[in-house]
Amino acid sequence: MVAILEKRQFKDFDWLTALIAVAIVSFGVWQIYNAQPTDTYWSKQILGLFIALVAMVVVALSDYRRIVDAAPFFYALGIILLILVLIPGLGVKINGQRAWLAVPMIGRFQPSEFVKIPVVLMLAKYFGNRKPGPLRFREMIVGGLILALPLGLILLEPDAGQAITYFPLLAVVLFLSAVRIRYVILALVAAMIFIPTAYVIGVNTGAIKNYQRERIEAILDPENADPRGFGYHTHQSMITVGKGGLTGIKGNQDISQSVLKFLPEPHTDFIFAVTAENTGFLGCISLLLAYALLISRLVAGAREAPDRVGMLVIMSIAGGITFQIFINVGMVLGFLPVIGVPLPLMSAGLSAVLSTFIAIGFVISVKMRRFVN
Amino acid sequence: MKVQDYAQNLPIRLGTIQVLAFVFLAVLGIRLYHLQINRGEDYRVRAENQRIRMIPIPAPRGAIFDRNGKLLVDSRSTYNVTLTHEAGERINPMDRVDEYAKGLSVEREFLVERINLLKTRPDYETLVLKENATLQDITWVETRTLEFPELRIELQPQRFYPHGLMLAHVLGYVGEISPAQLEKQEYGHLKPGDIIGKGGLEQFYDKFLRGTPGYRKVIVDSRGRVQSEIDYVPPQSGQDLYTTIDLDLQIAAEEQLAISASKRGAIIAMDPRDGGVLAMASAPSFDPNIFVQGSATKEGRKQIAAYWQDETRPLYNRAIQGRYHPGSTWKIPESVAALRQGVVTVQDSNLACGGGITIGNKFTRCMGNHGAPPLKYAITKSCDGYYYRLALKMGIDGLVQMVETFEYDKRTGIDLPNEKISRTPKYYREIVEKRSRGRWPDIETVFASIGQVTVDVTPIAMLRAVTSVGIGGKLMVPHFMKEFKSIGAIGKPGEPNYVPAKEAFEYEAPEIPVVSMTEEQNKLVLDGMYGVVHAGGTATRISMGGEFEIAGKTGTAQVTVLGKDVGELKDHAWFIGFAPAYAPEIAVVAIIENVGFGGTHAAPAVKGIFEAYVKKNRVAASETAVGVGDGDSPDTPEPSAPGATPNPGTNVQQPPEIDPDRPSANIATGNTNRRRDGDRPGENRRR
Repeated sequence: MVAILEKRQFKDFDWLTALIAVAIVSFGVWQIYNAQPTDTYWSKQILGLFIALVAMVVVALSDYRRIVDAAPFFYALGIILLILVLIPGLGVKINGQRAWLAVPMIGRFQPSEFVKIPVVLMLAKYFGNRKPGPLRFREMIVGGLILALPLGLILLEPDAGQAITYFPLLAVVLFLSAVRIRYVILALVAAMIFIPTAYVIGVNTGAIKNYQRERIEAILDPENADPRGFGYHTHQSMITVGKGGLTGIKGNQDISQSVLKFLPEPHTDFIFAVTAENTGFLGCISLLLAYALLISRLVAGAREAPDRVGMLVIMSIAGGITFQIFINVGMVLGFLPVIGVPLPLMSAGLSAVLSTFIAIGFVISVKMRRFVN
Repeated sequence: MKVQDYAQNLPIRLGTIQVLAFVFLAVLGIRLYHLQINRGEDYRVRAENQRIRMIPIPAPRGAIFDRNGKLLVDSRSTYNVTLTHEAGERINPMDRVDEYAKGLSVEREFLVERINLLKTRPDYETLVLKENATLQDITWVETRTLEFPELRIELQPQRFYPHGLMLAHVLGYVGEISPAQLEKQEYGHLKPGDIIGKGGLEQFYDKFLRGTPGYRKVIVDSRGRVQSEIDYVPPQSGQDLYTTIDLDLQIAAEEQLAISASKRGAIIAMDPRDGGVLAMASAPSFDPNIFVQGSATKEGRKQIAAYWQDETRPLYNRAIQGRYHPGSTWKIPESVAALRQGVVTVQDSNLACGGGITIGNKFTRCMGNHGAPPLKYAITKSCDGYYYRLALKMGIDGLVQMVETFEYDKRTGIDLPNEKISRTPKYYREIVEKRSRGRWPDIETVFASIGQVTVDVTPIAMLRAVTSVGIGGKLMVPHFMKEFKSIGAIGKPGEPNYVPAKEAFEYEAPEIPVVSMTEEQNKLVLDGMYGVVHAGGTATRISMGGEFEIAGKTGTAQVTVLGKDVGELKDHAWFIGFAPAYAPEIAVVAIIENVGFGGTHAAPAVKGIFEAYVKKNRVAASETAVGVGDGDSPDTPEPSAPGATPNPGTNVQQPPEIDPDRPSANIATGNTNRRRDGDRPGENRRR
């Protein structure tokens, strides 16, 4: 592999983006340690980081165009995985969600994390090669169908949180594929009407489960939420963030909300709360700035992409990451409902780190080939 | 831009996405600033409140001793299995009740009842699931901290009453504070689950006996498991109480009640010089240990319920809560009152006996015909006819004045809770006069003159009044407290958890009311009482010889209508006396329910106490005298065991002599079923 790294390729390799990603993961490892010092999640995360780096380099050095050409194959593979996970004997059920596949040697992995990549590739392949001109209605339908199939399977797990993170993938692609602005505005207005309506209908028909409704209401009306019942997660998360203050408790385990087990899921969904408690406002702002820098690098890469396919791949991934950060941190900060979405690069878990690094591998691959044709 | 711009304004759209991403991140940053910088302190305090817990350490209650330092009540260390507060928020203990019941060997229904209590007290800290945890229980809990983090082992000093039934009414018992008591101001600073005194000295001196709890300040995790200790403040024990009780006399008193025919009644012994109560027994009695330990077991609760339902009322202290007709013992304060009121004088105290008196068409008889006896002789022989006329001369106003003089219309002030006030003609006057068209009928005066019908007094009030004759008219305030011992401070002054030392303090006698009378008047009544035992009176059988002369008065209180008073409802027997007669060191009242005549049943019981007293205070003294050289000690042949075998014998052998009296009494009061004569002066003569 090193042999094929020519000098120019080496120079064009996007070191800065890779470095930011590695830095965030390393920072995350420290927070995972703070969250549960006696557990092995943090050491597993280091191992995960190395696996992810290898995967990233492999993807980065591959020609993304060939991979995109094979998108239907990866897409089909992804769908098969999502079907397999639903089979009771194969899929592992945790907290009522059958979202994990047990693999010998590696352990559990979550197909819904990985399937984002084939979906992005599939969308990029379809919309990257379309004819010029404003987006046609038929194209939107096809885009919607590409998304709908895996989405439906994920909702069967059921993992509504993970499903939500798929929407920005399509939204970004459509936005960048010359969708008319009036459609965008129409979609926003429709969303503003449709979402509350759907919520009310969902509550009345029972499609929205009680625990989901309670979690949403805990956000809409935090003062009346039961801090010991469904409001517990949000309540404890806000306490944990707030007590961090300006500089945080710097790893003092005696008073750590996560060590004392007040904060639930501290190493995964609520890792940002642990960060806030331990590093305070300064640490959190630094992390958000690092994310901002990473997103800037991705957008800059997209601008320099040699073709539409590459540009769409990068932007779709960037959109997904941004959205996931917002949903996750919004939940931790108590203004979005509690849904199980990990914080990209920070939360413990091989699946999430691996898929994010593969995505970054694509970005690097696209950037490396900006002069090649 | 290499990509052909055939999309609409692609760079602008890319820029839009980037700006949108930054806006999202900025929103997060602003929210973060709000939570961490604006409200950080608030959340820091909230986090602290939820992880810091104060675990109270109960203070051992002060022990209670008798006057010679013999232990009466103590506290033992026991362990409780408790349910903690935090756990209750996260789990429903009711789901685990079966496992608790099995693991702790407690009945399921009891646990369900306990856990249901939580609904009524949401602010509880811990709830006791099992008291007196055994080693197995402790091991079971300790090995299951992961499975049942809500369970905790807590040290709990438990009250122990080594003497069981003895002194139960005086000591009382302890138990969890009730919701009603929590409302009261005196318990304002206590919380649910705290242990307080209930009844007796435990309740009366609860404040001093209770002590101040300490606490451990600990960090807990979300399930309430203790992670580390930040602070420890030891509890301050309650103060030890030394009482005036003499355990040996108490044993004698309990024995006298135990061997009495009905095994029901009360005996009080008091030191007339200071009012200190030497013994107070009430039978039947109860075991306070059952209240302390037994409320957690089915058997214990059954026993407690049985106590409450028992018709013989073992939970009530007859000595201060029982109201009885005093019978002829009433004649002692009545004699004093008559002399004070000038109805009779020392020089001229003769009144006719006449064998009885006719009021309207009713003849109320005396037990004998005593001619026209003087007061002293009337007391000695308990001549009813004399007192009918004496009381008629005093009138209802004179009787009311007598009640007030001897404070029968007040509590005696003994340091026990729930003392009852006696009921007397003063109390009943309004009721009787209403019933009798506005005037007090003479017949009621006649009945009241011998302590019947409108006279219901407590033994303690009776003892106090009669004893006053032996001590120049002083109405001593009976009391148990002798001294509270000091207890050291916790911490140093200025420290936040400083609890100052408690000083020792002794009993402070209140102002003693005095029934004023001349020495002659006093001597006259006293001589009469002396005669009861030593000059052919109604209780000559209990004479202990010249070394320990007794002054006293018998009484027999009618319980029900004559002619039907067989078996269960025989008369109540009274005796009140003090000795030595002219310099009393000990005064005793005995009332035995439903046994018959005072001189036969109550007087020997009192003698039993005197014998115990003599054995302890005089024999020991005379033995010292023997050592000095007085070889001819008169005490040597005295009966040995105090209050032991001789007396039951006399009691049991008496019944035949009762019979001859009955028919005559029946005839005599044939048309007045409401009363019967007080005493039987004749019985001693026949012997």
